[in-house]
Amino acid sequence: MITTTWAWLVLLFPLLGATVNGLGYKRLGRGGAGAIGTAAIGLAFACAVGALISLQGHDAEHRALVSSLWDYAVTGDSGVDAKLSILVDPLSVYMMLVVTGVSTLIHLYSVSYMSGDHGYSRYFAYLNFFVFSMLVLVLGGNFLMLIVGWAFVGAASYLLISFWYRRGTATRAGIKAFVINVVGDVGLVLGTFFILRHSGTLDFLGTFRAVEGGAFAGHQGSLTAGCLLLLVGAFAKSAQIPLHTWLPDAMEGPTPVSSLIHAATMVTAGVYLIARMYPLFEQAPAAADTAAIVGCVTLLIAGTIALTMTDIKRVIAYSTMSQIGYMIMAVGAGGYVAGLFHLMTHAFFKALLFMAAGSIIGAMAGGQSLEKMSGFRRAMPFTFGCFVVGGLALSGVPPFSGFFSKDEILAFVGSRGGWFDALYVLGYVGAFLTAVYTFRMIFRAFLGEPCAEARELEHGHLAHAEVPTNPANGEVEDTDVGFPGPEHTIAERALPMKVAMSLLAFGATFAGLLQIPFVDSVITRFLEPTFAESKYIHADPSDGLITFGLIVGTVIALSGIALAYRIWVLKPGSAAAWRERFKPAYTLFVNKWWFDELIDLLVVRPFAAFGNFSRRTFERVVVEGTLVDGTTSIVRAGSSAVRAIQTGFLRYYAALLLLGGAAVVLYFLIAAS
Amino acid sequence: MTLSILIWLPLVVAVLGAIWGGASPKVAPRLALLGSFATLAIAIWFVVRYDTGGGMQFVTDRSWISTLGISYSLGLDGLNLVLVLLATVLFAGATIAANLREWERPGQFFLWLGAGETAVLGAFCAQDLILFVAFFDLMLIPFYFLTGIWGAGERTERVRATTKLVIYTLVGSLLMLVAAVATGVLTAEQHNTDLTFSLAALARLPLSTGSQEWIFLCFAAAFLVKMPAFPVHGWLPDGYRTMPLPALAAFSGVVSKVAAYGFLRIVLPVFPDASVHFQELLLLIAVASILYGSAMAFSTTNARLVIGFSSVAQMGFITLGIFALNEDGVQGALLQMVNHGLVTLPLFFIVGLLAARAGGSEDLRDMGGIAFRAPVLASLFLIVGLATLAMPGSANFVGEFLILLGVFRAKVVFAFVAAVGVAMASVYVLRAFIRAMHNRVGPSVESREVTFGDLAVLAPIVLVILALALYPQFGLKRSEPAAKASVAALSTSSSAVASTAEAKP
Repeated sequence: MITTTWAWLVLLFPLLGATVNGLGYKRLGRGGAGAIGTAAIGLAFACAVGALISLQGHDAEHRALVSSLWDYAVTGDSGVDAKLSILVDPLSVYMMLVVTGVSTLIHLYSVSYMSGDHGYSRYFAYLNFFVFSMLVLVLGGNFLMLIVGWAFVGAASYLLISFWYRRGTATRAGIKAFVINVVGDVGLVLGTFFILRHSGTLDFLGTFRAVEGGAFAGHQGSLTAGCLLLLVGAFAKSAQIPLHTWLPDAMEGPTPVSSLIHAATMVTAGVYLIARMYPLFEQAPAAADTAAIVGCVTLLIAGTIALTMTDIKRVIAYSTMSQIGYMIMAVGAGGYVAGLFHLMTHAFFKALLFMAAGSIIGAMAGGQSLEKMSGFRRAMPFTFGCFVVGGLALSGVPPFSGFFSKDEILAFVGSRGGWFDALYVLGYVGAFLTAVYTFRMIFRAFLGEPCAEARELEHGHLAHAEVPTNPANGEVEDTDVGFPGPEHTIAERALPMKVAMSLLAFGATFAGLLQIPFVDSVITRFLEPTFAESKYIHADPSDGLITFGLIVGTVIALSGIALAYRIWVLKPGSAAAWRERFKPAYTLFVNKWWFDELIDLLVVRPFAAFGNFSRRTFERVVVEGTLVDGTTSIVRAGSSAVRAIQTGFLRYYAALLLLGGAAVVLYFLIAAS
Repeated sequence: MTLSILIWLPLVVAVLGAIWGGASPKVAPRLALLGSFATLAIAIWFVVRYDTGGGMQFVTDRSWISTLGISYSLGLDGLNLVLVLLATVLFAGATIAANLREWERPGQFFLWLGAGETAVLGAFCAQDLILFVAFFDLMLIPFYFLTGIWGAGERTERVRATTKLVIYTLVGSLLMLVAAVATGVLTAEQHNTDLTFSLAALARLPLSTGSQEWIFLCFAAAFLVKMPAFPVHGWLPDGYRTMPLPALAAFSGVVSKVAAYGFLRIVLPVFPDASVHFQELLLLIAVASILYGSAMAFSTTNARLVIGFSSVAQMGFITLGIFALNEDGVQGALLQMVNHGLVTLPLFFIVGLLAARAGGSEDLRDMGGIAFRAPVLASLFLIVGLATLAMPGSANFVGEFLILLGVFRAKVVFAFVAAVGVAMASVYVLRAFIRAMHNRVGPSVESREVTFGDLAVLAPIVLVILALALYPQFGLKRSEPAAKASVAALSTSSSAVASTAEAKP
């Protein structure tokens, strides 16, 4: 079977799964929906492996294969060459493998985790649809397919954030996420226009050829504008500042969704986009530098916020933002392989962390607050183990996967020299913050005196909320539908969850071994054909810098963990003193740097005010008053309202029309003769 | 088979229904259903037989009032072919919807609905300026009666609504009549030919720039009122609030398109210099309509008005595409007319379903949580909603993409401002969807699934929306030659203007 056929099959199975689950919501029982959903993604993963094997059979120079299902081109000479086409090359195969691999495990986890939910088959229909959309995004062979995939994942994300739709918090979070994502889509569309203007094609490979052929010579401004607008799309999807505010709110969705969409896959789309468009960004250094700087700023700001959040999912959400900041910084600086390597390891350990968090949330009967959790170590040994593995990988402790990938990014940024040195240093500051907030979370949830729920669980009884409430605002749930269900599930008691988490823990631990400095470089060698034309592909950091980085990274991660240990374990209660001592900083962080308020002030309110002004004032005074009041007075003068409709009015109108018309005709006839 | 059969069939059937309707209240509705489907079948026949190579086809050309040069001239080309199909589809849908409930004096109701279809089809097919004006004005009368007699609300409200509708349109119509007559007469005068109102002839004999400009403004006023565009939309809120839903679905879906079509059929080819001259003015009105319509749509709570004002915004996009004055924009506008018609009918129908579940209220504040026992309704609403906000992957996106690309190529700034409207669309659509279907259950909400009758209206149109998303070429391919031709006229005229300007001194 040829390579592209495998790729088409990868797209087909999730679509089939979504369709079957969507249409058969009445017939399929609980088991059916979960099994179909998981099997569909599992098959997609198998086909992705098939594509990988098949692709490696080609020569390195011929590993960019395009396949078109049909041609949309109609406006031939105006140059919109729209095709339903996919591009299979090492980059898209790599993304495909990560997406389908992690998705399979998360579907498996969901089979148990969501078992108490009323919307079981709806959930799997949405989740399969998401995977399909994400695969369209990474496989699309031209800008249109990219935009379609881009928007589809946004819609799937909206549907899943608002999954528990009776919660006002969830629906608000959903619309926020959707609108910010649409802003990103618009950026992508306008960026495409700028690029299309001079490249004359929507096809990726055609565009890259045109760029290398000098299509933008003398139109540097267009290229930079186009790339900056593409970045708007990337930032919106990847939750980079200032378009990030939807991501923490997106934690309203079920935890496996946070794990899959808002950590492992969708939010990394921006990284993929920049890597995919590298021939453009390398010709538009201003845009590439913007990406690197925004990534760096995001990783720091998100890290500081994560230090102060008390909702366990939000801590991980800000951590996600921060880690994507690293990736965006990497690909902005030209370290495509490093960024993509981190994308993969992050997918493993962050999905794992979310799954483990979901397990604790189950044990807390839906509660998410770190304030209330403590001492789950003995009650949930498996979850604890997974959380620690994920935490070590996230903090970058050797030999866990995150250590090697984060280090590769920082070493690359450091090797660029110049002002990139500032990003290099700040990257290590971020790494320190990462270790602190990660282990703050672990120590608070698992160590210390067991809380009531943990004690109950130690006696073999899973906590159960008498009255289910929304953890975000304490509102009593509507128990008809659209809430997480009264029953909760923990990993210790559900084999599918255990299997999924074990496999991810394996990945989080060992994935880094694929690419150890001075030892091997599997990822680089695999991705090299895609980035062969890049001017940075052979810009390897010096051996000294790499060695220095490995040592510094280890020290920083361990000292961050040590600090967290000191504050939250050795001297419990000392956190309050720290808060007091750094009060201004703490206020800034805990209020999330006031980004929500700022956007509210600058964007939401003006638009709302415009809407209200239109409705209350303009419509009433100008449109109704000036333009319509004349009308009303004519009617009043004419006859009473009731008579008007029955008798006079239409005749009056018709007569006037005829008379006027006749007069005009007459005039012109006389004038003509 | 001639186009006359297509045009007049709905009216003939409706008249028969009115005559025989006395026998039983079922006769007129069923007959109208039959008539609308027969018309749809005929329209499909024309589309199948249409030669995609382009050019004016199925021409009927009879002298009507020979002394005044007015002829009964009909024809189909790339500009109106798909719109004719759209009109018959939407009227068929509206007729099914109207069949689902009882009407007082059904004979008359369906008489006016049939008359409306005839007028709309006539306006789409007319190839003579005066004939177009006649059909365009005829369109008003059926909707006047439908609103006045069968409309919602108190009688005074209905009177107010119909009065506004009539007066606004009256002003536009008179201006258009004057302009139409002037076009014929002045053309004959300036070129020393016989008086003619044939659109093809008028396009070959351009008027002097000065005459074009004031005539252009008259036509533009008439069309903008009918769409409606900001700021001449004053009749819309009351009109939309009162018009009975099946009629409103047809009205909003098709009648507004006749106005947009008028720009393409008459204004661009016959007044090319003025079109170029006033391009920025019209783009400005279009952008204002987009922003104002969107702002109203996300601040009002009446579900009908959300859709109504979203139409103002969508018609703004269509106007934007037309006055990009290039092929991409015109193609996008034509496709978007079809797309918008296709989403409007189900949206208004869904408003009716929602109101039936929210204790009769059409206010979003009285709704909420309707999705619970109605997953099919919720899914259909979501699909139509996402198409309305032009999500990539829908045909609406293809239309909007081409429109924005056209404007981007013509005037970059307008593309950027209009793009704000794209984001605003997602706000008002999702806001309406969430407030109706999600959140807590409203006080008098009773959730229940759609019936088979409802599905008979919704499902086919949703399927068409999905099919068109996969294959927008259906429209684009057929309209391409005509779109090219209408733009070609503009470029030659503007170069002609330039050459005369050079020749002057």
